[in-house]
Amino acid sequence: MSDAGSAWLVTPAGPVGYDRANEAMHTLAERRLAGEIPDTVILLEHPPVFTAGRRARVEELLWDEPSVEARGGLVRRIDRGGSFTFHGPGQLVGYPILGLGTKPDAGAYLRSLEEAVIRTCTSLGAEVTRRDDVQTGVWAGDEKVCAIGVRLLRARVTLHGFALNCDTDLAWFDGIVACGLPDHGVTSLSRLLGRDVTVGEVRPIVERHLADVFGLAFEPAPVDCARVFDSVADVA
Amino acid sequence: MTSIQMPQLGETIVEGTILKWLKQEGEAVAADEPLFEISTDKVDTEVPSPVAGTVTKLLVAEGATVPVGTAVMEIDDGSASDGLSAPPASSERSMGAAVVAETPAGPVPDRGPRSQILSPIVRRLAKERGVDLATVAGTGEGGRITKADVLAAAGGPTPAAPLGMVAPPAPAVTPASIPATPVVPVPPSVPAGAGEDVQPMSHIRRAIAGHMLASVNQTARAWTMVEVNVERLVRLRAAAKDGFQEKYGVKLTYLPMVTRATADALREFPLVNSRMQGEDIVTPRSVNMGIAVSYDAGLIVPVIKGVDAMNTAGIARAIADLAARARAHQLQPEDVQGATFTITNPGPFGSLISVPIINQPNAGILSLDAIHKRPVVVEGDAIAVRHMVYISMSWDHRLIDGELATRFLARVKHNLETWDFAEDLGL
Repeated sequence: MSDAGSAWLVTPAGPVGYDRANEAMHTLAERRLAGEIPDTVILLEHPPVFTAGRRARVEELLWDEPSVEARGGLVRRIDRGGSFTFHGPGQLVGYPILGLGTKPDAGAYLRSLEEAVIRTCTSLGAEVTRRDDVQTGVWAGDEKVCAIGVRLLRARVTLHGFALNCDTDLAWFDGIVACGLPDHGVTSLSRLLGRDVTVGEVRPIVERHLADVFGLAFEPAPVDCARVFDSVADVA
Repeated sequence: MTSIQMPQLGETIVEGTILKWLKQEGEAVAADEPLFEISTDKVDTEVPSPVAGTVTKLLVAEGATVPVGTAVMEIDDGSASDGLSAPPASSERSMGAAVVAETPAGPVPDRGPRSQILSPIVRRLAKERGVDLATVAGTGEGGRITKADVLAAAGGPTPAAPLGMVAPPAPAVTPASIPATPVVPVPPSVPAGAGEDVQPMSHIRRAIAGHMLASVNQTARAWTMVEVNVERLVRLRAAAKDGFQEKYGVKLTYLPMVTRATADALREFPLVNSRMQGEDIVTPRSVNMGIAVSYDAGLIVPVIKGVDAMNTAGIARAIADLAARARAHQLQPEDVQGATFTITNPGPFGSLISVPIINQPNAGILSLDAIHKRPVVVEGDAIAVRHMVYISMSWDHRLIDGELATRFLARVKHNLETWDFAEDLGL
């Protein structure tokens, strides 16, 4: 660790299989907990996968697993909070691995995460808000453009993060009751702005706002850390 | 003995669910080893142990949801259970456990008149650093033990306390006269069958449920009703509503008039505008009126700040603005904070008499029900048809007595029956 506030940024090229990314994220979080590495942010895309948080209910997966797999997707039960969500091409996924300090405030962390995404969307021209009355995340009216789901390691290092739909194929969300909210929809930046907004366009903007909101000075992660995200397909 | 509490993970997170015990009774734990998994409405986490020792007791069941600060586990870490390090009594009480007087087990040498008065931070620090307070000489006023004394006794600064177990602020003190009630009662379980639809409660529904139940459990609710002759208001509204809508762009209803009349009565009887804070009564000098608004997600209470300084036209516009923003999900956190009294208005839906639940920490909530024509006895013992309404108030008998509640409602009634609202409406 060099300067205060310096942080590693990992931005794998191309989609990273969910299992590999999930395992690497947990490894990094353990190392962050042990003080071996600085705060680290991973920004990537996944191949299609439905992930179920701890609050997910079986009936919220509307397609059965074989039909998900027939469409080229996977289903994973994972350790974050929240319900079902979808990750896939066209969606920018961010996994901040941050130490929350001696007085961890998970509520403040989530608001900051929302803030970074809101600033990103706003700077692109999309009108988005928080919806404290419904659920953590970033919303355009009754439609969610960015899902947020977080877990803490030992109540002080963050795991999982946000999933911002850029030009995601939203038809995938028909397969779940997204975030357990039957009366709310999902949307994407492309749909909100009426043009094709790619992950490549959004990523540098998200980087900037994450750096601003969390007070981080990003530097590329060392090669050995970044390499674990090299793409390996998940096994269904 | 160290008591482990549901940790405070942020100001906005008020409760958590024990997902899984990672350590069982009798198991040894190392410092910072995960003890249990919790889930809150925002985030899930493991909770690490602040000490090394042996788990002696699990105080709640897996799956239970408890408020932040509730003791959930006890660990024997070799430290004496001398009362000085006991968890806040209120969290003990909320678990239905016996409340033990905080008396030191052994004789404590008298080192000064204030040597036994300890601030929570000193107690916590002593516990974290393993300092026996009986051995510490206080250098504060009257021999009081200060933070610096504890640090000195601990031999200088040591690594920060394990994170995530920073002791939360003590929960609101529950008066001893209130029997302990489980915050989340366990209803008889009737699983859904064929012909029934199931959907999870929304966060807002859960929040409403929690607030309502907490209010019923924590207030001494009493209820008083008056009957008000609103014939003049009905005639005024009929004559003025078109002009009002044209001039101000909002509909003229009875709610702003009742709000105005109630704000005046709250100025006249400030205790009805007050709240309990521990064993103090806090009385704001102005009135922030909560207005209950129903919308698609449930019920929300936006607040008109400083309503006692507004005229009826201003109140009408403020109510229309807050209701519109509530229904469009555009309220900001500050829009729903700081109410000193609340009005609910089920009248438009046809209710004749309502008994509302107090919006804590308010001392009362006023209900405006439906206006109907009724035969009434008027001057000269004649029977006439008049527009009448029942206006009632649920009030907290801990703060207010029946005489005050009734005089307050009589003032609201008097205002509504005698004021000339035409001028106040700016017409």
